Amino acid sequence: MTDKIDIKNVAKLAALKLNEDEQQQLEKDLSMIIEHFAALSEMDLPDDKISIHPLGMSLNLAEDIASKSLTHEEALRNAPDSKDGQFVVPPSLD
Amino acid sequence: MENHKLSISKINKLFKDKELKPSELYDEVFERAASTESIIHGHLTLFQEENIQKALESNTRYEKGEHLGPLDGIPIAIKDNINISGHVTSCSSKMLANYVSPYDATVITKLKKEGVLFTGKTNLDEFAMGSSTENSAFGPTKNPWDPSRVPGGSSGGSAAVVSAGSAIASLGSDTGGSIRQPASFCGVVGFKPTYGTVSRYGLIAFASSLDQIGPITNNVEDAKLIFNSISGHDPKDATSLIATKTEQPNLNKAKIGIIKELMEDGISEDAKEEVYKVAKLMEAEGHEIVEVSLPLTKMSISIYYLIAPAECSANLSRFDGVRYGARVSGNTSSEMMELTRAEGFGPEVKKRILLGTYALSAGYYDAYYGQALKARAMMKKEFTDIYKQVDYVISPTTPSDPFKFGEKSDNQLEMYMSDLCTIPANLVGMPAISIPTGLSSQGLPLSVQIMSPANTDNTLLDFSQTLQSLVSFIDKPILNRTEK
Amino acid sequence: MNIIPTIGMETHVELKTNSKMFCRCYVLDTDLPNESLCPTCLGLPGSLPAPNKKAIEFITLLALSTNCSITNEGMFHRKNYFYPDLPKNYQISQFDLPVGTEGSLEIVVDGEFETVEIERVHMEEDTGKSTHIGSGRIDSATSTHLDFNRAGIPLVEVVTKPLIKSSKEAVAYIEELRQLVIDLNISEGKLEKGNLRFDANISVAYEGDKELGTKVEIKNMNSLKSLEKAIEYEISRQTKMLKSKENIIQETRHWDEKKEVTSSMRSKEGSADYRYFSDPDIPNMILSEDFVNTIKATIPVLPSEKRKVFMDSGLSIEDSNNLGKSSNWIGDFYIQVSEITKDSKASFNFITGELQGQLRKLELLSLPNWVTAKNLSEIIILVNNDKISFTSAKEILTKLIEEKLEPEEYAVSNNLIQENDIDEIGKIVLEVIDSNEEVIIRISDGEDKLIGFLVGQIIKLSKGKVNPSVAKELLLKEINS
Ligand SMILES: [Mg+2]
Ligand SMILES: [Zn+2]
Repeated sequence: MTDKIDIKNVAKLAALKLNEDEQQQLEKDLSMIIEHFAALSEMDLPDDKISIHPLGMSLNLAEDIASKSLTHEEALRNAPDSKDGQFVVPPSLD
Repeated sequence: MENHKLSISKINKLFKDKELKPSELYDEVFERAASTESIIHGHLTLFQEENIQKALESNTRYEKGEHLGPLDGIPIAIKDNINISGHVTSCSSKMLANYVSPYDATVITKLKKEGVLFTGKTNLDEFAMGSSTENSAFGPTKNPWDPSRVPGGSSGGSAAVVSAGSAIASLGSDTGGSIRQPASFCGVVGFKPTYGTVSRYGLIAFASSLDQIGPITNNVEDAKLIFNSISGHDPKDATSLIATKTEQPNLNKAKIGIIKELMEDGISEDAKEEVYKVAKLMEAEGHEIVEVSLPLTKMSISIYYLIAPAECSANLSRFDGVRYGARVSGNTSSEMMELTRAEGFGPEVKKRILLGTYALSAGYYDAYYGQALKARAMMKKEFTDIYKQVDYVISPTTPSDPFKFGEKSDNQLEMYMSDLCTIPANLVGMPAISIPTGLSSQGLPLSVQIMSPANTDNTLLDFSQTLQSLVSFIDKPILNRTEK
Repeated sequence: MNIIPTIGMETHVELKTNSKMFCRCYVLDTDLPNESLCPTCLGLPGSLPAPNKKAIEFITLLALSTNCSITNEGMFHRKNYFYPDLPKNYQISQFDLPVGTEGSLEIVVDGEFETVEIERVHMEEDTGKSTHIGSGRIDSATSTHLDFNRAGIPLVEVVTKPLIKSSKEAVAYIEELRQLVIDLNISEGKLEKGNLRFDANISVAYEGDKELGTKVEIKNMNSLKSLEKAIEYEISRQTKMLKSKENIIQETRHWDEKKEVTSSMRSKEGSADYRYFSDPDIPNMILSEDFVNTIKATIPVLPSEKRKVFMDSGLSIEDSNNLGKSSNWIGDFYIQVSEITKDSKASFNFITGELQGQLRKLELLSLPNWVTAKNLSEIIILVNNDKISFTSAKEILTKLIEEKLEPEEYAVSNNLIQENDIDEIGKIVLEVIDSNEEVIIRISDGEDKLIGFLVGQIIKLSKGKVNPSVAKELLLKEINS
């Protein structure tokens, strides 16, 4: 497989602003790694049901018992910007 | 004073016999830190002041015979991707340089209950991504055996401080070898437990299905002690196992498989020799040694470098400058996020985020991430089958002894290959331990890795203790030698 | 050729659990921002999700009640997109293995039954709330404020197949779904509070076309009025475009409440790529047969079953449907009353009109214990037998709600029993005709509305005891003879 990586699109999806140099370097590095995946990509593997837990354990659900955790102050302590008890960010447009 | 190299149980006995006080050991460890940290830079932060009072309280408990357990008063270092309430958890990233956690990781809660004293937070490759600790935003950690060489990674700081004696033991996290590989490079013991036995709650995730917290210690006995105090079901971690099976007792005659594929190209002669040496010692003890083949281990690197980046690409999305951490301002919130992430993350982290994003993106999922999941499932089957034939499998921990700074940082694939032997245990979820067994031709530490089926952690640790007693590994990092 | 619309609905239902979906923070109804948070719902580094059992029971109940097949081994997925109100920048949701699939819901549109086909019912978490600060318009905001109390509240998303044919049907579907979640006791079901929020996917095409037209999504409405108007607007907009062969763009549009138009939302370049993958923090979820059976056993009487009972009592589909939207005890009370009165329509009218109206005025949530099916039926029967007027019935009901009484006894002792004796009434009729000669002439000249005036005179003269319809009948007979 020789898929070329569309670094601009991938960076957009990952919310990373890359400068020209970074784009070039990363495109080169990633292409090299992706090339290394070719052998795996081409393997013929059975299509069994996948368990995301390495040991295949199944989910244990938690009881619906509410409790208080962070105080309002603790929740906002690390905020880069806040006002009137809310987190503040530049305008989000869509 | 050489108390810092004693086993925890010996220290505990000295405490109980009132021959040593926790506060004295505490002072000794910080004296070690004062003389070694400027060279090795293992700790990012030291908690010297704030724990003096706690050390004195521990003194009192021992005086009254009311100590909390074998870990009471033991100074332990914590990798800086594990949250301790009220302290910075930086992950060695500019992104979190000033982030103060408002909560304790479950392992920290457990250790606090046992009266453990924390020496501080240790250095790592940024967000645990790397094999040399060169990727730390706060400068690299150096190998106590030779400061021109890397300590391994990503838990490089945690391994180096134990080796240098500025902590009795430490906690690291292991996603593809991040406990075992640096332990090997620094000549100490590193143990990655069965996935799900130690709660991940409060460990800043790299790759959730692979991450596991474990101890780095001077000996196997200490590793077992710490493992048993940090393990156990945690309802806050949905992947945490409820109960482990009853374990096998330590076998007098075990069957041990040497993994053929991990004794081939890319593995140094020195490293192979250690495995054969250990195999001979065990054979002499009556254990049976066979060669086993696990063909998919050859695919480990590819499987790992699809699954881990895919998971990390989502795990690291939360670092966006909105609620905590660094922020670079922008005209819109999306611009702010993009600039913050561009500025806050280092090159290796960006590379892996992009790789994972790509592997999951429309049109590529099936060929890459989906394929990696299938191969991982197959690999599990391979190991399950092998464990029907043998009790343990062994391999070198690392393909070679510690390399020099910069030696592999220009060749990413070679750097990635240094985790070849350790990755399978993470993909399969089984426990794995690295035990130092000898020195390379350059006089640097080499280790052997032993693995066993999932949920046989204590069996593996007991067996490893037997093995440890067979090898005469002399712990002499250069820092210890120059002191004399 | 006819142009026909096709509509698919995606509805988010907020569940009424005590704690959030993936952490144990309280689900709070408060205006104080950022009060109910923990490391998990704030997306702090190192936190992990612990899925809520009650929420899974609730969604299973809803999936079973909409005739869905239950996925025995399900999964949670991460839906990746960056937005400031999404703490982890991924939403934990379900992708290819949702809790329920392939269901259906019976609804009533214009007095007829229709079936809405459900594609899937899946579990997910809510986001935080953004407030755009500035001139009030989203695109000239100077900053955005974020409150994460809502982040992590369990949401069930119910997705229909794109087979809905009109705005009326869409509204009826939401009404039915709302009633269902209220009857299942899994959500407050309050639209004004955003407990149900819906997106509509709308397309138009020429009748007979094999393929659907380009779909346009209208996002995030929470009132039935908006839903109806937005769909109507969008159908006519697209119909015009189709007729004039304009290109309809696949996009997300926003319903402008004030201007009553839909407008294009700023859309990101290219289509969204959410990079769904199974959440490695959450093992596969097994919903065992035992679990499903246990939930099945707790299904209460569903709105469709209630409708059936009301229809069996003799009510129309429409009335049955409306009665189903009242509190359960009203429906039960109706059944008891209609069995005694043997008149379903009159019982329905009196209970849903008079009784509920009076209770509402008095702000009573239930009946005083002396108001029984028996004495209420007595009032209805008195009216039905022309023994009292409807006005008197209302008066007796008012009294009955105030204090314990026997309706018939009360009617007698308060002189409310109507005169039905034709001879007696005839005398009064003649008396009125005699004293209103002028009026009679005008009526013969065609001023029909004056008949009512004379009936009024008759009732007045009889002190309200004459049955108006009998009086009118006799009066006309007299005039025409
Ligand atoms: Mg949704
Ligand atoms: Zn929470």
